[in-house]
Amino acid sequence: MERATKLQSDEQRIDDMFAIAEHKDQAALARLFDHYVPKVRAFCLAKQPGANLMADDIAQEVMIRIWNKAHTYKKESASLNTWVFTLARNARIDYLRKNSRHQSDIDPEYLWQNVIDENADPFKDAQQKRDQERIQQGLDKLPPDQKQVLAKVYLEGKTHKEAAEELSLPLGTIKSRVRLALHKLTIYVKR
Amino acid sequence: MTNYHPSIEMLTDYAAGSLALAHSLCVSTHLEHCNECQQQIRKLEMLGSHLFDQTPTEERQLNSLKNSFFDTLMKQPKAEDRVEKPLQLKNPSQWDEYKIPSSLRQFITKNYDDLNWMRLSPSFKIATLYNEEGGAQIALTRVKAGAHMPTHTHTGDEITLVLEGAFSDESGVYRQGDFINRDASHKHKPIVTKDAECICLTVLDAPIEFTGWLARLLNPIIRRYHPHSQA
Repeated sequence: MERATKLQSDEQRIDDMFAIAEHKDQAALARLFDHYVPKVRAFCLAKQPGANLMADDIAQEVMIRIWNKAHTYKKESASLNTWVFTLARNARIDYLRKNSRHQSDIDPEYLWQNVIDENADPFKDAQQKRDQERIQQGLDKLPPDQKQVLAKVYLEGKTHKEAAEELSLPLGTIKSRVRLALHKLTIYVKR
Repeated sequence: MTNYHPSIEMLTDYAAGSLALAHSLCVSTHLEHCNECQQQIRKLEMLGSHLFDQTPTEERQLNSLKNSFFDTLMKQPKAEDRVEKPLQLKNPSQWDEYKIPSSLRQFITKNYDDLNWMRLSPSFKIATLYNEEGGAQIALTRVKAGAHMPTHTHTGDEITLVLEGAFSDESGVYRQGDFINRDASHKHKPIVTKDAECICLTVLDAPIEFTGWLARLLNPIIRRYHPHSQA
Protein backbone atom coordinates (compact mmCIF):
# COMPACT_ATOMS: atom_id res chain seq x y z
CA MET A 1 0.00 0.00 0.00
CA GLU A 2 2.72 2.39 1.08
CA ARG A 3 4.64 1.48 -2.03
CA ALA A 4 1.64 2.19 -4.24
CA THR A 5 1.26 5.66 -2.71
CA LYS A 6 4.93 6.30 -3.27
CA LEU A 7 4.68 5.32 -6.91
CA GLN A 8 1.66 7.55 -7.31
CA SER A 9 3.46 10.57 -5.88
CA ASP A 10 6.50 9.79 -8.05
CA GLU A 11 4.17 9.99 -11.05
CA GLN A 12 2.70 13.24 -9.77
CA ARG A 13 6.15 14.78 -9.53
CA ILE A 14 7.00 13.79 -13.09
CA ASP A 15 3.78 15.49 -14.19
CA ASP A 16 4.90 18.54 -12.24
CA MET A 17 8.18 18.52 -14.15
CA PHE A 18 6.26 18.51 -17.42
CA ALA A 19 4.05 21.34 -16.21
CA ILE A 20 7.15 23.40 -15.45
CA ALA A 21 8.79 22.56 -18.77
CA GLU A 22 5.62 23.24 -20.77
CA HIS A 23 4.13 26.31 -19.14
CA LYS A 24 6.28 27.32 -16.20
CA ASP A 25 3.71 26.17 -13.67
CA GLN A 26 4.57 27.76 -10.32
CA ALA A 27 2.21 25.60 -8.30
CA ALA A 28 4.07 22.57 -9.63
CA LEU A 29 7.37 24.11 -8.60
CA ALA A 30 5.95 24.80 -5.14
CA ARG A 31 5.03 21.11 -4.76
CA LEU A 32 8.51 20.04 -5.81
CA PHE A 33 9.94 22.60 -3.39
CA ASP A 34 8.02 21.03 -0.50
CA HIS A 35 9.25 17.59 -1.42
CA TYR A 36 12.87 18.20 -2.34
CA VAL A 37 14.07 21.19 -0.33
CA PRO A 38 14.06 19.34 3.03
CA LYS A 39 16.01 16.51 1.38
CA VAL A 40 18.57 18.80 -0.22
CA ARG A 41 19.02 20.66 3.06
CA ALA A 42 19.53 17.40 4.95
CA PHE A 43 22.02 16.30 2.30
CA CYS A 44 24.02 19.51 2.84
CA LEU A 45 23.79 19.39 6.63
CA ALA A 46 25.14 15.83 6.55
CA LYS A 47 28.30 17.25 5.02
CA GLN A 48 28.52 20.30 7.29
CA PRO A 49 26.33 20.01 10.37
CA GLY A 50 24.88 23.34 11.46
CA ALA A 51 25.63 25.12 8.18
CA ASN A 52 22.05 26.27 7.67
CA LEU A 53 22.90 29.18 5.40
CA MET A 54 24.85 26.92 3.08
CA ALA A 55 21.98 24.42 3.09
CA ASP A 56 19.47 27.18 2.22
CA ASP A 57 21.68 28.52 -0.57
CA ILE A 58 22.25 25.15 -2.16
CA ALA A 59 18.59 24.14 -1.84
CA GLN A 60 17.53 27.33 -3.63
CA GLU A 61 20.13 26.78 -6.31
CA VAL A 62 18.80 23.27 -6.90
CA MET A 63 15.24 24.61 -7.21
CA ILE A 64 16.37 27.25 -9.71
CA ARG A 65 18.06 24.55 -11.75
CA ILE A 66 14.88 22.46 -11.68
CA TRP A 67 12.93 25.49 -12.87
CA ASN A 68 15.36 26.29 -15.67
CA LYS A 69 16.29 22.79 -16.72
CA ALA A 70 12.97 20.96 -16.41
CA HIS A 71 12.77 20.63 -20.19
CA THR A 72 16.05 18.70 -20.29
CA TYR A 73 14.79 15.99 -17.92
CA LYS A 74 14.02 12.70 -19.68
CA LYS A 75 12.30 10.12 -17.59
CA GLU A 76 13.63 7.32 -19.80
CA SER A 77 17.23 8.08 -18.88
CA ALA A 78 16.96 8.55 -15.12
CA SER A 79 14.40 8.58 -12.35
CA LEU A 80 13.51 12.05 -11.10
CA ASN A 81 15.10 11.28 -7.74
CA THR A 82 18.38 10.39 -9.44
CA TRP A 83 18.22 13.54 -11.53
CA VAL A 84 17.64 15.73 -8.48
CA PHE A 85 20.33 13.90 -6.53
CA THR A 86 22.87 14.73 -9.27
CA LEU A 87 21.75 18.38 -9.25
CA ALA A 88 22.19 18.53 -5.47
CA ARG A 89 25.54 16.78 -5.62
CA ASN A 90 26.85 19.16 -8.28
CA ALA A 91 25.49 22.26 -6.55
CA ARG A 92 27.15 21.15 -3.30
CA ILE A 93 30.49 20.56 -5.05
CA ASP A 94 30.26 23.96 -6.71
CA TYR A 95 29.38 25.75 -3.48
CA LEU A 96 32.23 24.12 -1.57
CA ARG A 97 34.68 24.86 -4.36
CA LYS A 98 33.80 28.55 -4.38
CA ASN A 99 33.73 28.93 -0.63
CA SER A 100 36.64 26.80 0.53
CA ARG A 101 40.01 27.99 1.72
CA HIS A 102 41.69 26.61 -1.37
CA GLN A 103 39.58 27.73 -4.24
CA SER A 104 39.83 25.60 -7.32
CA ASP A 105 39.21 26.84 -10.82
CA ILE A 106 38.25 23.40 -12.06
CA ASP A 107 34.67 23.91 -13.13
CA PRO A 108 32.57 20.90 -12.04
CA GLU A 109 29.94 21.69 -14.69
CA TYR A 110 32.28 20.16 -17.25
CA LEU A 111 32.95 17.03 -15.27
CA TRP A 112 29.58 15.47 -14.69
CA GLN A 113 27.72 16.41 -17.82
CA ASN A 114 28.49 13.49 -20.11
CA VAL A 115 27.36 10.85 -17.72
CA ILE A 116 23.70 11.35 -18.49
CA ASP A 117 22.63 8.70 -20.91
CA GLU A 118 21.28 10.39 -23.99
CA ASN A 119 20.31 7.35 -26.00
CA ALA A 120 17.44 6.15 -23.92
CA ASP A 121 15.30 3.42 -25.42
CA PRO A 122 12.45 1.25 -24.10
CA PHE A 123 14.79 -1.62 -23.40
CA LYS A 124 17.02 0.58 -21.30
CA ASP A 125 13.98 1.98 -19.57
CA ALA A 126 13.04 -1.52 -18.42
CA GLN A 127 16.63 -2.28 -17.46
CA GLN A 128 16.77 0.92 -15.48
CA LYS A 129 13.58 0.07 -13.55
CA ARG A 130 15.03 -3.35 -12.72
CA ASP A 131 18.27 -1.79 -11.47
CA GLN A 132 16.30 0.69 -9.38
CA GLU A 133 14.23 -2.07 -7.77
CA ARG A 134 17.27 -4.18 -7.01
CA ILE A 135 19.15 -1.31 -5.44
CA GLN A 136 16.15 -0.18 -3.42
CA GLN A 137 15.39 -3.64 -2.05
CA GLY A 138 19.05 -4.50 -1.53
CA LEU A 139 19.64 -1.31 0.42
CA ASP A 140 16.96 -2.18 2.95
CA LYS A 141 18.68 -5.49 3.66
CA LEU A 142 22.26 -4.26 4.04
CA PRO A 143 23.97 -4.78 7.41
CA PRO A 144 24.29 -1.47 9.31
CA ASP A 145 28.10 -1.33 9.08
CA GLN A 146 27.97 -1.42 5.28
CA LYS A 147 25.17 1.11 5.09
CA GLN A 148 27.04 3.39 7.47
CA VAL A 149 30.06 3.53 5.17
CA LEU A 150 27.90 4.20 2.11
CA ALA A 151 26.22 7.07 3.98
CA LYS A 152 29.62 8.53 4.86
CA VAL A 153 30.71 8.49 1.25
CA TYR A 154 27.46 9.64 -0.35
CA LEU A 155 25.81 11.91 2.16
CA GLU A 156 28.70 13.26 4.18
CA GLY A 157 30.82 13.55 1.06
CA LYS A 158 33.79 11.73 2.55
CA THR A 159 36.33 9.86 0.46
CA HIS A 160 37.07 6.25 1.38
CA LYS A 161 40.23 7.48 3.09
CA GLU A 162 38.43 10.09 5.17
CA ALA A 163 35.74 7.59 6.15
CA ALA A 164 38.47 5.22 7.36
CA GLU A 165 40.07 7.93 9.50
CA GLU A 166 36.78 8.99 10.99
CA LEU A 167 35.64 5.50 11.89
CA SER A 168 39.17 4.58 13.06
CA LEU A 169 39.19 1.59 10.77
CA PRO A 170 41.84 0.45 8.32
CA LEU A 171 41.28 1.68 4.77
CA GLY A 172 41.13 -1.97 3.66
CA THR A 173 38.11 -2.59 5.91
CA ILE A 174 36.27 0.40 4.47
CA LYS A 175 37.05 -0.69 0.94
CA SER A 176 35.84 -4.22 1.53
CA ARG A 177 32.62 -3.03 3.19
CA VAL A 178 31.83 -0.81 0.23
CA ARG A 179 32.71 -3.56 -2.23
CA LEU A 180 30.55 -6.08 -0.37
CA ALA A 181 27.65 -3.66 -0.32
CA LEU A 182 27.98 -2.80 -4.01
CA HIS A 183 28.25 -6.47 -4.80
CA LYS A 184 25.00 -7.25 -2.96
CA LEU A 185 23.29 -4.39 -4.75
CA THR A 186 24.59 -5.89 -8.01
CA ILE A 187 26.26 -2.59 -8.83
CA TYR A 188 29.75 -3.95 -8.73
CA VAL A 189 30.63 -6.92 -10.85
CA LYS A 190 34.27 -7.86 -10.80
CA ARG A 191 35.82 -7.39 -14.22
CA MET B 1 37.86 -0.26 -25.90
CA THR B 2 39.77 0.61 -22.78
CA ASN B 3 41.45 -1.97 -20.57
CA TYR B 4 42.49 0.04 -17.56
CA HIS B 5 39.80 1.64 -15.45
CA PRO B 6 39.52 3.69 -12.27
CA SER B 7 39.03 1.51 -9.17
CA ILE B 8 35.49 0.94 -7.95
CA GLU B 9 36.36 3.09 -4.91
CA MET B 10 37.28 5.98 -7.14
CA LEU B 11 34.14 5.57 -9.26
CA THR B 12 32.05 5.50 -6.09
CA ASP B 13 33.68 8.66 -4.74
CA TYR B 14 33.15 10.31 -8.12
CA ALA B 15 29.45 9.39 -8.28
CA ALA B 16 29.03 10.53 -4.69
CA GLY B 17 30.80 13.80 -5.43
CA SER B 18 33.43 13.29 -2.72
CA LEU B 19 36.38 12.78 -5.08
CA ALA B 20 38.89 15.64 -5.43
CA LEU B 21 38.17 17.78 -8.50
CA ALA B 22 41.54 17.05 -10.11
CA HIS B 23 40.88 13.32 -9.86
CA SER B 24 37.28 13.78 -10.99
CA LEU B 25 38.67 15.43 -14.09
CA CYS B 26 40.55 12.23 -14.95
CA VAL B 27 37.55 9.99 -14.22
CA SER B 28 35.32 12.20 -16.34
CA THR B 29 37.77 12.06 -19.25
CA HIS B 30 37.95 8.28 -18.93
CA LEU B 31 34.14 8.04 -19.03
CA GLU B 32 34.09 9.70 -22.43
CA HIS B 33 35.90 6.61 -23.70
CA CYS B 34 34.39 3.90 -21.53
CA ASN B 35 30.83 2.74 -21.80
CA GLU B 36 31.35 0.10 -19.13
CA CYS B 37 32.30 2.65 -16.48
CA GLN B 38 29.46 4.92 -17.62
CA GLN B 39 27.01 2.14 -16.80
CA GLN B 40 28.70 1.66 -13.46
CA ILE B 41 28.33 5.37 -12.69
CA ARG B 42 24.68 5.26 -13.70
CA LYS B 43 24.03 2.58 -11.07
CA LEU B 44 26.18 4.30 -8.47
CA GLU B 45 24.12 7.45 -8.97
CA MET B 46 20.94 5.44 -8.51
CA LEU B 47 22.34 4.21 -5.21
CA GLY B 48 23.13 7.82 -4.30
CA SER B 49 19.57 8.86 -5.06
CA HIS B 50 18.13 6.18 -2.76
CA LEU B 51 20.42 7.24 0.08
CA PHE B 52 19.51 10.86 -0.65
CA ASP B 53 15.83 9.96 -0.58
CA GLN B 54 16.18 8.20 2.77
CA THR B 55 18.13 10.94 4.54
CA PRO B 56 16.22 11.86 7.69
CA THR B 57 14.94 15.41 7.28
CA GLU B 58 14.45 17.75 10.21
CA GLU B 59 11.10 19.20 11.16
CA ARG B 60 11.59 22.78 10.23
CA GLN B 61 9.33 25.46 8.88
CA LEU B 62 10.54 26.33 5.44
CA ASN B 63 7.86 28.88 4.64
CA SER B 64 10.11 31.91 4.86
CA LEU B 65 12.72 30.22 2.69
CA LYS B 66 9.99 29.32 0.22
CA ASN B 67 8.63 32.85 0.12
CA SER B 68 12.02 34.40 -0.38
CA PHE B 69 12.83 31.81 -3.05
CA PHE B 70 9.69 32.63 -5.04
CA ASP B 71 10.33 36.36 -4.56
CA THR B 72 13.80 36.01 -6.04
CA LEU B 73 12.52 33.86 -8.84
CA MET B 74 9.85 36.40 -9.77
CA LYS B 75 12.18 39.37 -9.51
CA GLN B 76 14.46 37.94 -12.15
CA PRO B 77 13.54 39.72 -15.35
CA LYS B 78 11.75 36.96 -17.22
CA ALA B 79 12.87 34.16 -14.98
CA GLU B 80 12.06 31.63 -17.65
CA ASP B 81 14.68 33.22 -19.87
CA ARG B 82 17.41 32.47 -17.43
CA VAL B 83 17.72 29.18 -19.19
CA GLU B 84 21.03 27.63 -18.27
CA LYS B 85 23.42 28.71 -20.92
CA PRO B 86 24.80 25.72 -22.72
CA LEU B 87 28.44 25.20 -21.94
CA GLN B 88 30.66 26.79 -24.49
CA LEU B 89 32.16 23.66 -25.86
CA LYS B 90 34.09 25.30 -28.60
CA ASN B 91 34.87 22.95 -31.36
CA PRO B 92 38.54 22.54 -31.91
CA SER B 93 39.60 23.91 -35.24
CA GLN B 94 38.70 21.66 -38.11
CA TRP B 95 42.20 20.97 -39.27
CA ASP B 96 43.18 19.72 -35.85
CA GLU B 97 43.33 15.94 -36.09
CA TYR B 98 42.61 15.39 -32.41
CA LYS B 99 39.30 15.67 -30.63
CA ILE B 100 39.63 17.45 -27.29
CA PRO B 101 37.59 15.67 -24.58
CA SER B 102 34.71 17.83 -23.27
CA SER B 103 36.06 17.62 -19.74
CA LEU B 104 39.27 19.37 -20.83
CA ARG B 105 37.73 22.10 -22.95
CA GLN B 106 37.64 24.41 -19.96
CA PHE B 107 41.44 24.48 -20.25
CA ILE B 108 42.01 23.83 -23.94
CA THR B 109 39.94 26.17 -26.03
CA LYS B 110 41.52 25.52 -29.41
CA ASN B 111 43.85 22.61 -29.85
CA TYR B 112 46.80 20.86 -28.27
CA ASP B 113 49.33 22.72 -30.39
CA ASP B 114 48.30 26.07 -28.98
CA LEU B 115 49.22 25.17 -25.42
CA ASN B 116 52.29 26.51 -23.78
CA TRP B 117 54.56 23.47 -24.17
CA MET B 118 57.82 23.27 -22.29
CA ARG B 119 60.41 21.04 -23.93
CA LEU B 120 62.23 18.88 -21.39
CA SER B 121 64.10 16.76 -23.92
CA PRO B 122 64.07 16.51 -27.73
CA SER B 123 61.24 14.00 -27.56
CA PHE B 124 59.39 14.98 -24.38
CA LYS B 125 57.22 18.06 -23.76
CA ILE B 126 54.96 19.08 -20.94
CA ALA B 127 52.20 21.74 -20.75
CA THR B 128 50.63 22.73 -17.46
CA LEU B 129 46.85 23.10 -17.66
CA TYR B 130 46.25 24.14 -14.12
CA ASN B 131 47.97 24.18 -10.74
CA GLU B 132 45.56 23.88 -7.86
CA GLU B 133 46.53 26.03 -4.92
CA GLY B 134 47.80 23.57 -2.31
CA GLY B 135 46.64 20.74 -4.52
CA ALA B 136 47.42 18.86 -7.64
CA GLN B 137 49.26 19.72 -10.81
CA ILE B 138 47.28 19.01 -13.95
CA ALA B 139 49.34 18.76 -17.11
CA LEU B 140 49.60 17.20 -20.52
CA THR B 141 52.67 15.31 -21.60
CA ARG B 142 53.53 14.82 -25.24
CA VAL B 143 56.11 12.24 -26.24
CA LYS B 144 57.33 11.46 -29.76
CA ALA B 145 56.62 8.09 -31.38
CA GLY B 146 58.99 5.38 -30.18
CA ALA B 147 60.61 7.59 -27.56
CA HIS B 148 61.39 6.72 -23.96
CA MET B 149 60.16 8.84 -21.15
CA PRO B 150 62.92 9.35 -18.60
CA THR B 151 62.79 6.77 -15.77
CA HIS B 152 60.99 8.32 -12.86
CA THR B 153 59.41 7.63 -9.50
CA HIS B 154 56.60 9.56 -7.90
CA THR B 155 56.74 11.44 -4.69
CA GLY B 156 52.95 11.31 -4.56
CA ASP B 157 50.09 9.67 -6.44
CA GLU B 158 49.99 10.08 -10.18
CA ILE B 159 47.07 9.47 -12.50
CA THR B 160 47.79 9.17 -16.20
CA LEU B 161 45.10 9.07 -18.83
CA VAL B 162 45.99 8.30 -22.43
CA LEU B 163 44.41 10.89 -24.74
CA GLU B 164 46.13 10.01 -27.99
CA GLY B 165 48.55 7.28 -29.08
CA ALA B 166 49.77 4.54 -26.78
CA PHE B 167 52.65 3.72 -24.47
CA SER B 168 53.90 0.72 -22.56
CA ASP B 169 55.91 -0.02 -19.46
CA GLU B 170 56.87 -3.09 -17.42
CA SER B 171 53.23 -3.75 -16.54
CA GLY B 172 51.42 -3.42 -19.86
CA VAL B 173 50.35 -1.46 -22.92
CA TYR B 174 48.09 1.55 -22.45
CA ARG B 175 45.84 2.91 -25.16
CA GLN B 176 43.38 5.76 -25.64
CA GLY B 177 41.11 6.17 -22.63
CA ASP B 178 43.17 3.94 -20.35
CA PHE B 179 43.36 5.12 -16.77
CA ILE B 180 46.58 4.42 -14.87
CA ASN B 181 46.91 5.19 -11.19
CA ARG B 182 50.41 4.89 -9.70
CA ASP B 183 51.49 5.52 -6.16
CA ALA B 184 54.77 6.68 -4.73
CA SER B 185 56.28 3.19 -4.67
CA HIS B 186 56.39 2.94 -8.45
CA LYS B 187 59.49 3.44 -10.48
CA HIS B 188 58.86 2.99 -14.14
CA LYS B 189 60.18 3.70 -17.60
CA PRO B 190 57.44 4.14 -20.17
CA ILE B 191 58.06 3.81 -23.91
CA VAL B 192 55.75 5.27 -26.53
CA THR B 193 54.68 2.90 -29.31
CA LYS B 194 56.40 3.39 -32.66
CA ASP B 195 53.35 4.28 -34.78
CA ALA B 196 52.35 7.64 -33.31
CA GLU B 197 53.12 10.27 -30.73
CA CYS B 198 51.47 9.94 -27.34
CA ILE B 199 49.57 12.64 -25.48
CA CYS B 200 48.55 11.98 -21.89
CA LEU B 201 46.71 13.84 -19.19
CA THR B 202 48.58 13.61 -15.92
CA VAL B 203 47.51 14.63 -12.46
CA LEU B 204 50.22 14.68 -9.84
CA ASP B 205 49.66 15.09 -6.14
CA ALA B 206 53.38 15.83 -5.80
CA PRO B 207 56.19 16.28 -8.32
CA ILE B 208 57.67 13.28 -10.09
CA GLU B 209 61.38 12.59 -9.60
CA PHE B 210 63.54 11.48 -12.46
CA THR B 211 66.01 8.81 -11.41
CA GLY B 212 68.44 8.43 -14.32
CA TRP B 213 71.73 10.31 -13.85
CA LEU B 214 71.17 12.73 -16.71
CA ALA B 215 67.48 13.10 -16.16
CA ARG B 216 68.12 13.95 -12.53
CA LEU B 217 69.24 17.31 -13.80
CA LEU B 218 65.59 17.92 -14.70
CA ASN B 219 64.33 17.57 -11.14
CA PRO B 220 64.89 21.18 -10.09
CA ILE B 221 62.99 22.34 -13.19
CA ILE B 222 60.06 19.98 -12.60
CA ARG B 223 59.90 20.99 -8.97
CA ARG B 224 59.93 24.64 -9.85
CA TYR B 225 56.77 24.17 -11.88
CA HIS B 226 54.89 22.28 -9.22
CA PRO B 227 52.67 24.33 -6.90
CA HIS B 228 53.89 22.59 -3.74
CA SER B 229 57.38 23.89 -4.31
CA GLN B 230 56.24 27.48 -4.33
CA ALA B 231 55.06 27.40 -0.72
